[in-house]
Parts: sequence; C-alpha cells; structure tokens
Amino acid sequence: MSSLGGRARLAGLALLIALFALFFLLPFAGLLERGLRDPDAWDAVTSATARDALALSLWTSTLALAIAIVTGTPVAYWLARARFHGKGAVEALIDLPIVLPPTIAGVALLTAFGRNGLLGEPLDSWFGLTLGFSTTAVVMAQLFVGAPFYVRAARAGFASVDAQYERVALTLGASRLRAFVRIVLPLSWPSLAAGAALCWARALGELGATLIFAGNLQGETQTMPLAILSAFESASGLTAAVALSLLLLIVALVALAAFWLISPRMREPL
Amino acid sequence: MTLDLTARTQIGGFSYDARLDAGHEIVVLFGHSGAGKSLTLQLVAGLQRPAEGRIVIGGEPVFDSRTGLDLPPQRRRIGYVVQDLALFPHLTVAENVAFGMSGASRERRLGDLLDLMHLDGLSDRKPRSLSGGQQQRAALARALAREASLLLLDEPFSALDESLRAELRRELIRLRSELGLSIVFVTHDLREAHLVADRLAVFDAGRLLQFDGRERVFRQPASSRVAELTGVANILRGRVAAARGTELVVEAGGARLHAAVPEGWHPLPGEAVDLAIRAERINLRRLDADHPDQPNLVRAAIREELAYGATHTLRFTSSLGQPVEVELASRPYEVIGVAAQKSWTLELPPADLHVMPVASASRPGSASASATTA
Repeated sequence: MSSLGGRARLAGLALLIALFALFFLLPFAGLLERGLRDPDAWDAVTSATARDALALSLWTSTLALAIAIVTGTPVAYWLARARFHGKGAVEALIDLPIVLPPTIAGVALLTAFGRNGLLGEPLDSWFGLTLGFSTTAVVMAQLFVGAPFYVRAARAGFASVDAQYERVALTLGASRLRAFVRIVLPLSWPSLAAGAALCWARALGELGATLIFAGNLQGETQTMPLAILSAFESASGLTAAVALSLLLLIVALVALAAFWLISPRMREPL
Repeated sequence: MTLDLTARTQIGGFSYDARLDAGHEIVVLFGHSGAGKSLTLQLVAGLQRPAEGRIVIGGEPVFDSRTGLDLPPQRRRIGYVVQDLALFPHLTVAENVAFGMSGASRERRLGDLLDLMHLDGLSDRKPRSLSGGQQQRAALARALAREASLLLLDEPFSALDESLRAELRRELIRLRSELGLSIVFVTHDLREAHLVADRLAVFDAGRLLQFDGRERVFRQPASSRVAELTGVANILRGRVAAARGTELVVEAGGARLHAAVPEGWHPLPGEAVDLAIRAERINLRRLDADHPDQPNLVRAAIREELAYGATHTLRFTSSLGQPVEVELASRPYEVIGVAAQKSWTLELPPADLHVMPVASASRPGSASASATTA
C-alpha cells in the first residue's frame, strides 16, 4: 500500500519537474527554431546596427564590472569585517537596486545625474558636463543595477574567510594589504568570481534604466537589449529581434563559459 | 629577559591584570579556559591592546600606554602558533612556512626549517592532507620562520592524541635548547604544564595568581585557589597553635600538625590558615607499627577506592574531622596490602605540608583576594 502511495508521490514530483523544465526550455527552443527557419534573420545580425550595439554592450558592461570590482571590493570587505550599529541598514541599501524595478532605477538616476538632477544641474551649469543620454550614462545605469550583485557575493565570500588567518598573517610580518592579497582573495575567489559573473550578466542585459537615463541612440547609447527592442518595434519585427537575441545569447554563453573555465583553475588549490 | 609584560585591561565584564616575564625558558600559562591565558598571548602579539601597561620584547618596547607606543603585530618579533593553527589552506606546507620569510637566504632557510621540523617530504602537500601531528609541526615551522627569539604557543597540542603530544613536547624542549628560544606556552592540562614548564604562571578569572618556578608552584601554592587549580587534593582548614623559629604548629581537627613557616609570610598564633598537601605526598603506615613521638600522624579509614591502573586514589575519613585523599602507585598498593586493610595511619610529612593564608573571598571559580604575583 505504502509503496503505491510512494509511487504516486514520485510520479507527481516527476511531473512537477517536467513542467518546470518545459517552461524554461521551451522559449530557448522557440528562439532557436525561429532563427533557423527564417533565412532573412541573418541579415539583421550582420547589420551595422547590430555590430555597433554588440560592441557597445560588450565594452560598457565590462567597464561597469571593472568599476564595480574596484569600488565594490573595499566596501564588501568593510561590510564583512566591521561591526557597527546600522550595518543591516547599509547592507539593505546596497541590496536595494537588486529588488528595484529597472525603470525606477532609470528615473532615479535621471533625478540625480540628469541635466536637472541633484548633481547633474551644477555639473551642467558649472562645467558644461552632461551625463544623461550619453555613453557614460549607459555605464552608470549598468553599474547601478549590476554592482550590488558583486558586492553582495564578495561580502559573503570575505565573511567566510576566518579572520584568524589574517591575524596570523600579520604576526608573520605581512602588511594588511599583503594579508588581503595572499590570503583573503584566494580563499574568497569562488564568491568573487560568481559575483562578478552575475554583475556582468546583469549589466549586459540592462534595458529599463538605460532606456530612461541614457536613451536609445545607435552607436552611442543603443546597447544590444535596446537594439533588440528597436528591432522588435521596426518593420522587420520579430525576425530581426530573434536574430539579435540569438546573437546576444551566444555571446553571453561564450563569455560565461570562458569565465568558468578560468575560475576552477584558480580555486583548485583549495 | 626576552619578554616583560605588565598589562591591565577590561573587555566587557572581564577584567585582566597580570605582570609576567620570560627568559630563555618555557613559561607555562596555566588555568581554566577564559582565565586570560590566550589573551596574554594576544596582548604580546599586538592583536589586542591593553588599557594600561608596558610590553617589552627582546629589550625593545613594543607597547607603552604612557608614551602611546603601540607597534602593530607585523613589527613585533614573535612566533605565534594559535590554538586552531590556522595553516593557510590554499598554500602548500613550504608556502605556509615561507610566508613570513624574506631576504636572499630564503630558500636555504626554508630547507633548514623543513628539515628541523621533519617536514622534508611534505613540502608540496596542502595542510588538509596532513595528519594532526604534521599540521602541528608545519604551524610551528611557520612560526619559527621569522627567526624570532620569542615563541608563543596557544594550547598547541590540544587536538592531538596522547602519544603524539608526548613526542611534540620532547621536540619543544629540544627546540628551546637548540634554538635558544623563549617560549610562552598556554595549556589547561596540568600534566602537560608540569612536564614542559620551567616556570609556571597560574591564571584565574583574568588574574595572575602565582608566577614561580614549577616546583615552587606545585609544592608551595600561594593560595588555596592556586592549590585547587594545580590539583592539590587536600586543603585542610586549621589554626596556628605555635610558631617556633622556622616551624609552625597548626591545630586541625584536634591534631597538631607541624609544618614549615612559608616564605615571606609569618602567621601569628591563633590565626586561621589553610594547609595544602598533595595526595601523592602522604605516606601510609600500619596501625600496629611502632612510631612514638613522631609528629603529623593521623588515624584514618578508607571510605572509597578508585583504581586508575598505574595509581590508586584512596579517600579516607580521618581523625582530623576532614576527608583526606591519598594517591598510591600500584606496586606499593599491592606490597603493603591496602586492599585487605581499611584502617591506616597517615603520615603528613612536615616538608610537604604547606601553609597558606585563608582567602576570605576565595570561592571556586572566582578571583582570589590573596592574589599575588612574584
């Protein structure tokens, strides 16, 4: 009797897993099927628009990641080691962009750095510097939505390294910097790598905040997600959008695969 | 002296106060966990800062609260092995050991050190793949790599089994003489403390209760709390009946016990005192044996016996009105036939009977009011 009930439960579980898999795999299958079926699709991929958008996407997202690493690493380390009142609030604030809808992020960025924004207005009137609707704005939008992923993962990684190792390194004559580079970084590497990958992927896919804060100008602020949106709304419609989507998907997969091929080698010593 | 430390500090509800030094010897810091032993090492290493005090390592002041001097850990020349070893898990044994090395002769010194600590074949292994004893030696080698003359060891052998501990203790005593090291060694193991110590510092609740030569601490504890902590099984309450020259007569439970006048303290007749005598210093005598005029004999009967293999612990009810514990090796236990005989005369040799002041605030687990530092 119980084995019958057990079998029924097992069948139910299998069905749930199958539904879940179907829901997530079918869209990719659709994309692939449509791309292969429509030979015109490849014209869209080789167009100047696509080339510009892909180049812009790749270098802006990489720059955003670099800035996130340089500025986010000290913040993450500080949050992992320091104890102070209101630490939870600081952490929540840094996590906020993760849960914030990107369109709100775009509006918020505009109110701060746009031509009439809090900082944007003085920058514009004193130095003639305009941040909004420029390539700089693209990077800023990507940094805003992507960096929290890196900081969050790095903080967890640093916190998982016992501070005792650093104390011992100090008693062995190492400076704080050397202790960090030789001990903390190698030991927290998997977390940093995962955080960096998430940050980069989020920056690469950024649409809403970029659209509002940076606009959609080919060669200047039109990243791949924006190019896909434009293609979808153009005469060629779904066909071009599918082609560009496949292109971005492949580039992202190749980049992440390359990344994961490098990282296991670096964390192998553990 | 390689180390001179005077420090007072307050961490939360824990207050710490100690004065300590170490030359070319092994100084053992002994006490229960939370007594302040590890904190002492952290203060020396610069990982904790005392509120007040002065610390001098190898003649060089590294901390002085009056001048504001406070060298960071990197600039204090010490070797420090922490309790959990903290070998860097991502580095090989050789990389771990070489971490604190610098200079041109690095390679040669690394080889020498691996050799000295019997780690030659293991230099490319990761700490995780080493046995407990090997990890211990690797951590010790790493701490020695800076060629500091002061070595701090925090319960270095606590994770090892008894045979390995014995081997490493011998190694440590060898290192002390071969390298001319000063070693400060933390342990809560009484036998280990006795084995490795040249001098012994007894800590309790943040206070250094006594700091003396090993034998002195074991034979002449400064207070009944020190006696308790160092495993003195018998602490008898008495009252001074007479003081003649270097000898005291103490009345305890109707018996008159002779004891030497303790150094640096002259209790007056009528004064209440505590008497300490270790269980293994008490002799058993047959009731019928003839011993006229001999002092310090007490009638007693065995109430409880515990056999530990090599030794027997006998608990007596005595004519002192207080229970007395005696430890006897197995061989004499059999030869004099203790198993068949319950009533005995106990001899408390005057030289082994140590007189201590009665500590009014002395409760187990709390700081003794008679805290002294020597």
